[in-house]
This record gives sequence, structure tokens and C-alpha cells, in this order.
Amino acid sequence: MNDVGRIARLKGARHDVTWHPTEDDLVLHFYEESSREEHARVGSHLETCAPCRASWLDLCDTLRLVDESTAPEPSEGFERVLWARLQPALPKPRAPWWSVAGLLPIAAAAAAAVVIGIVVGPRAWPWHRPAPTAPAAAAKSETAARERVLRAALGEHLETTQTLLVELMNAPDADVSGGSEDLTFVRTTAGELLSSGRLYRVTARQNGDVQFTRILDDLEPVLVDVAHAPEKMDRHDLQSLRTRIDDASLLFKVRAMSNEIRDLEKKSAISE
Amino acid sequence: MQLDDAAAVAQARAGDEDAFRVLVERHGRGIYRLAYRMTGKPEDAEDVVQETFVRAFKQLARFEERSNFSTWLYRIGFNCAIDYMRARPHRESPETMDVLEGRSQPTGQTPSMDDLVYAGQISARVQAALVGLTEQERAAFLMRHYHGCSIDEIGEELGLKTNAAKHAVFRAVKKMRVALRPFVDARVESVAE
Repeated sequence: MNDVGRIARLKGARHDVTWHPTEDDLVLHFYEESSREEHARVGSHLETCAPCRASWLDLCDTLRLVDESTAPEPSEGFERVLWARLQPALPKPRAPWWSVAGLLPIAAAAAAAVVIGIVVGPRAWPWHRPAPTAPAAAAKSETAARERVLRAALGEHLETTQTLLVELMNAPDADVSGGSEDLTFVRTTAGELLSSGRLYRVTARQNGDVQFTRILDDLEPVLVDVAHAPEKMDRHDLQSLRTRIDDASLLFKVRAMSNEIRDLEKKSAISE
Repeated sequence: MQLDDAAAVAQARAGDEDAFRVLVERHGRGIYRLAYRMTGKPEDAEDVVQETFVRAFKQLARFEERSNFSTWLYRIGFNCAIDYMRARPHRESPETMDVLEGRSQPTGQTPSMDDLVYAGQISARVQAALVGLTEQERAAFLMRHYHGCSIDEIGEELGLKTNAAKHAVFRAVKKMRVALRPFVDARVESVAE
């Protein structure tokens, strides 16, 4: 029965002694889903009609049993396990490359920590700070773990960049490979490095790291060209790229930077 | 100081995973209970909980700050559970309604009140009855009964017209009454004695 019919029936019920609320009416009454008028009428009817009251009490008993039931509790440590499963599954925010705001804190912290370290020198690197005082000791292991992740992230970025540059410089001569060079893999890698490199560069600039910013500035146009290059790069374009990489000493600079990071990791490992 | 939900949401929106973790730890068990009632299996419930929080994280930007986070999260949880059950291969419910109805017939062996004092038994029966409902009925009933959602809200969440949502609740209650009949009768008898 639709609502209009139900209301009409209930209105008529005032003078109709044969009227009784249906089971559905009682359900709505229980959940207080009926109108105030309906609710009052069903309520007053239940006071005077024993069979309906019995039905009502039966409904209440049933739903009370449902209330009494409990779902099993998850095991102890549920939250910890849940988070361990959940965290890797959380999507990482895709912020515009020019915005650091969208970076996950860990990524931002990674870039910032590395950049600050490069600008100001080893003493400013978080893993070269003096030993923490007793109150700060509790946070030490967490900080250390995070810093290891950060170092690894930047180190990997630089290593990959270095590999890509080496690939480009040592790619078979176009004449030998049939007039053009297949750079599919290199193009894909360049696109990925471009995205992450932009984030590192923004942070580096914000932290005033001239050296690191300059390297990333020099790298970006090369990576843009590679990322957007045709699948088969002709000899002339490939040679042009090589010249730019060579002229800017990009491979050398990236290698130096990469080595610096690696040394810092080693020192850190020893001190830990 | 412990973050309240609103503050944790605000920080999580800015990408703070630790703040989101606060929300996960605060609401994880509640979502688990919901998911268990919906799926009837602990391992399925765990999957639903995880998916609920992943979706919540993705949709945080759409969460209206004036809303109640818990309510918003539970709705995501319901939808995840429904999607989960629809996506998994059809399988026999642990307790079909036929079985439950069969059990509810007078057998001359009405469980004594002694048997019923065990809350676990009631819980198991209620859970079996819930699993015997259709997904739509179960969701509608749980939303109405445990989470106080109005019929209109249920319709909105389940993509049903108000009348359809209402009838989903009606059908669910009818089936629950059938399934729980022996327990209700036993309780009435014990009170009468």
C-alpha cells in the first residue's frame, strides 16, 4: 500500500473499529518512520487492542534480540594489522608538479631533507645531527627509519637518471641499428624521472639549494625531449641529445651527486 | 592530544597519513562489525574494511566538514560491502531462509531459556538470519536498525525509491521475525513461567 492509501486508511480508522495496523505499520511505528498523526493513531490503537498489542510486543521482542546480538570483535592488534595492509594501498596524491602541497609528507620530507643537506653541508643532514637528548630518544628510531627511506628514494632517483643518461650516450649508432634507435624504455623512464625530478627541484629551490636546482634545471629539458621523442629517434636528434648531455656535463654531475648520497648512506649506516 | 575526527580529517586531507591512521584506528572496529554483519565472514569483513578506508581516503576531498565523519564513513562501508558481495562469485549462504524457516517450525523442542542465555547463540542466530536476507534487504535493515538511517537516507544510499527502501526494510523484518521465532517464543515462555 502506498503512503497516500496508508494515511487515508489511518484517517478512516478513527471511527472504524475493525481497523488494525498491519505488520508494516508496526514496523514503521517501531522505527518512528510514520508521521506524527499515524504514530499517535497506532499508539492509541495498541492501548486498546490486545491482539495488535501482542503482535507489537512480539515485534519488539524480535528486534530487541537483534539489539542484543553482537558481531564478533576482530582479533587483538586488529588496528595495527589493518594499517599495515591499508597504508600501501592508499593512493598517493597526484598533485600538480609545481605544487609541493600535494606531496605526501614523507616525500616532501625526503626531498627537503636531502636538499637541505646538499645546500648547507653534511652537518645539516638530519642523520648527522648530534645524538638526541633523552626526551627526544623515543622519536629517534622512527626518524632514523624515515631518513633511511628518504635517502634511498633520492639515491634511487639519481641512480635511475644516471642509468638513463648512460643508455642514451651508449645507444647503438643509428646507422648500425637501421637508421633509427628504439627508445621506448628510455622514454618511459624519462617521463617518470621528469615527474619526480620536478618535485625535488621545487623543494630544492624553496630551500635555496642552488647546486641541486641547477642540475635538475639542466636535466629537465633533456628529459622532456626524451620523454616526448618519437618511438624511433633518428640519428640527428639522438646526436643532438648526446651533445647537450655532454656539454652540460650532466652525466658527471648526476654521478657526483649520486656518489655523495651513497657516501652519506654509508656513513649513516656505520654510525647507526 | 588526541585529534578529534574533524581535525584528523582536515590533516588527512592535506596528505597527513598519520592523521588518517587516527581515523582508521578509531573507526576500524565499527566498520569491521558492520562489514561482518553484511558479509557474514571475518575474512570478507577484513577486505571490506580495507576497501572502505581506501575509498574514504580517496573521497576525503568530497567530505563536507559539517557532516558527521562516522556517518559518512559507515555509508561508504555499506556501499563497499554491497559491492563486495555483488562482485564475489555467488555462493550458498551459510543459512538460507528455507533452512531458517524450517527450524522455526514447532518441533516440540523449543530451546530452553538456559540454552538462550548464551549471547553467542543469539548472535549466531541473528547473524545467520541476516545472511539469509538479500543484500539489499540486509543493507536496508542494518542501516535502519543499527545505524538509525531514515528510510529516505537508505533509499538514497542504495539507489532505491523511498517506497522500495521501505519495503526492503519490511521484508527484512518479516524474515528476521521468522528466523528468530524460536528464541522469541522461548523468551516469552520463560517470562510466563
